[in-house]
Amino acid sequence: MQLNSTQQKAFDYQRPVIEKFGRRAGLWSLFYLLWIILGGYALYLQIAKGHIVTGMRDNVVWGLYIANFIFFIGISYAGAVISGILHILKVEWRKPIIRIAEMITVIATVIGPVFILLCVGRFDRLHHLIIYPRLQSPITWDVLAISTYFIGSVLFLYLALIKDFAIYRDAKLKIPKWRQRVYKFLAIGYRGTRSQKRHITISMNLMAVIIIPLAIIVHSVLSWIFGMTLRPGWHSTIFGPYFVLAAIYSGTGVLIMAMWVYRRMYKLYDYITDKHFVYLGYIMLVLGAGYGYFTFSEYLTDWFGSEKWDNEVISKIFNPAEYGWWFLFANVAGILLPIFIVAFPKTRKPNWIALASFFMVAALWVKRYLIIVPTLESPLLPMQDTRLEYVKYSPTWVEWALTLAGIATFFLFFTLMSKFVTIIPISEFAEKEKPKESITEKVTKPESEIIPA
Amino acid sequence: MIFFMMPGKMIAQTDSSGKAEVKEATTYAPLITFISIQKNDNSVDLKTSVQAKINGVLTKLPGLKIEFTVGSDSSAKKLAEVLTDSKGAAVFNCKPDQLVTDAEGKLNFKASFAGKDSIEAAEEVVTVKRARLEITPVKEDSVLTVKAKLVDLSTGTETPVPETDLGIFVNRMFSTLKLGEGKTDEAGEASIEIPKNLPGDEKGNLTLIARLDENEIYGNLEASVVQQWGTPVSYVLKELPRALWSPHPPIWMLVTFAILMSVVWGHYLVIIIQLFRLRKEEPEPEPN
Repeated sequence: MQLNSTQQKAFDYQRPVIEKFGRRAGLWSLFYLLWIILGGYALYLQIAKGHIVTGMRDNVVWGLYIANFIFFIGISYAGAVISGILHILKVEWRKPIIRIAEMITVIATVIGPVFILLCVGRFDRLHHLIIYPRLQSPITWDVLAISTYFIGSVLFLYLALIKDFAIYRDAKLKIPKWRQRVYKFLAIGYRGTRSQKRHITISMNLMAVIIIPLAIIVHSVLSWIFGMTLRPGWHSTIFGPYFVLAAIYSGTGVLIMAMWVYRRMYKLYDYITDKHFVYLGYIMLVLGAGYGYFTFSEYLTDWFGSEKWDNEVISKIFNPAEYGWWFLFANVAGILLPIFIVAFPKTRKPNWIALASFFMVAALWVKRYLIIVPTLESPLLPMQDTRLEYVKYSPTWVEWALTLAGIATFFLFFTLMSKFVTIIPISEFAEKEKPKESITEKVTKPESEIIPA
Repeated sequence: MIFFMMPGKMIAQTDSSGKAEVKEATTYAPLITFISIQKNDNSVDLKTSVQAKINGVLTKLPGLKIEFTVGSDSSAKKLAEVLTDSKGAAVFNCKPDQLVTDAEGKLNFKASFAGKDSIEAAEEVVTVKRARLEITPVKEDSVLTVKAKLVDLSTGTETPVPETDLGIFVNRMFSTLKLGEGKTDEAGEASIEIPKNLPGDEKGNLTLIARLDENEIYGNLEASVVQQWGTPVSYVLKELPRALWSPHPPIWMLVTFAILMSVVWGHYLVIIIQLFRLRKEEPEPEPN
């Protein structure tokens, strides 16, 4: 395939990254693998001894695993929705960051459902979900929705990669032959003819159109697992939009963090510019405000209604001796901090925005925990003669180890994918774009971060 | 990382499994509760319940082999061996031809457990006089009455037993409901009026039971009769209410699901067709 000068430059710049795995990437991968091995040992214990090794008991049957599941599925929607919307609106600045967003989508969609499997325990009955589905059960909706969404997100990522695979195929990269064969296979004969371009454009447009409502439906379905029960703190009509907004919000945060890491790691300052952080910061600000509104509305209506069981959950969440401090953290770091950091020009800088994203993402994880656990600790039927550990949930090291293994797997997949495809899409650059111009936006960039020509 | 900053509450619990201490071998003395119920078909139900105090709690013992015998020690005849169920209970119905009475016309039953593992051996004996309780439903001038008659069979002839309290019950879903009490007269008979409009089964059948409980001489006696004196009540729901366990999802849900899935998968199909076309349209490589 013929590359224009901008594409050639972008490719030459990233070529060493995909040609060599590198010592640093190797060490990081090893580090992640160690966490995954620890998680594997924890999983072995869980299978061998049963769920007694977790903190989950008769009353609190969902814990860290389900919080992780919602968290990972949540961040996966950011890639789909952000890249889908920006694609439809033909926003030019999306191009350098769109691949990171789509990678987040696919990787998080792979890891999220694994936590469901860890939670349900009986792997031997997994196929019952397929052979005995009950369409009237929100769990069945979730299985169908997530698997449909996974296929869609893989297709979306693949469509955006076909042109780049053709570039890698023709570039005579210094890579093993098997990788060359894989690139050739995945490029499916793309040579850049007018007709082939048309096929990809049609497919991308179709996918961008369908992935947005799909992502919204899938996360709404996930929220209905909670919203359609009559439990206090869950039975809410706004849970659908609340979950969707929180998902895109946390996903935006993860996207900003990933951009910050890749920009520094591979010196991509010419491509992922301050402008990208500021624009995504604005998106984060709007989403944060919306998320704050939903949060306030949710707790205000529950508190004002003074229904006995709602009050029990609310008092647990507000009580500093129980979950009060976590609730405060979830709201300060999850709502106020990102809004303030983006609102003021002095802090509207990549490092600050990335820091706010980090705290926001952590806060939203805590928020998922606060949705699940306090409600399950407040059952509608009174409990008698029950041991404290049955009433109160606290995760065991096994659950923490598997949680960290999940996070490590997320990072490992990212590392491996960034060595297999270029983080900045090559084929997206048209001749008219001159990435060097963006380097003139040195407003906030320290001298040390500028790449030598 | 934030995960390491979680408070003690969230990370404090450790795996509690595998900590069971190895205790010294202890034996437990079981407690056998044993009763006999003489039925109006002349058979006798033998019921035992086996429990033991384990760690300070009375625990029902399942899977123990209970041997039932009839007759005095010298001429005891083995009736059956029955395993206790999950509630620690073992029941045996002794047929009339298996019954053996002593010279005084008494029935001597024994339930014994030979001992197993850490459970010690135990036995319990019941001695009762042979008797029979009869039940007869009578309807006079739209008044429903149950006549119960208690007769002593220990002498070989039927001798009425007077001045004895009997209870009349009706079977309900989980247990029996007491309808009334009566004392037997000189003829050994007691009459108890039955309320009308008691809910019965689909045909209005009621199972009426006359009972003599824990009598010092005769033990427990029971007689039952099925009579169509109740109001017919059908417990089979013709139309199930809307519920998660309904056998079929509602039509609107099926339609919505089908539309959503076909729209999404239809898009996927179109895209996959586009990719196949793209592959087909690969131009021939130019000769070098």
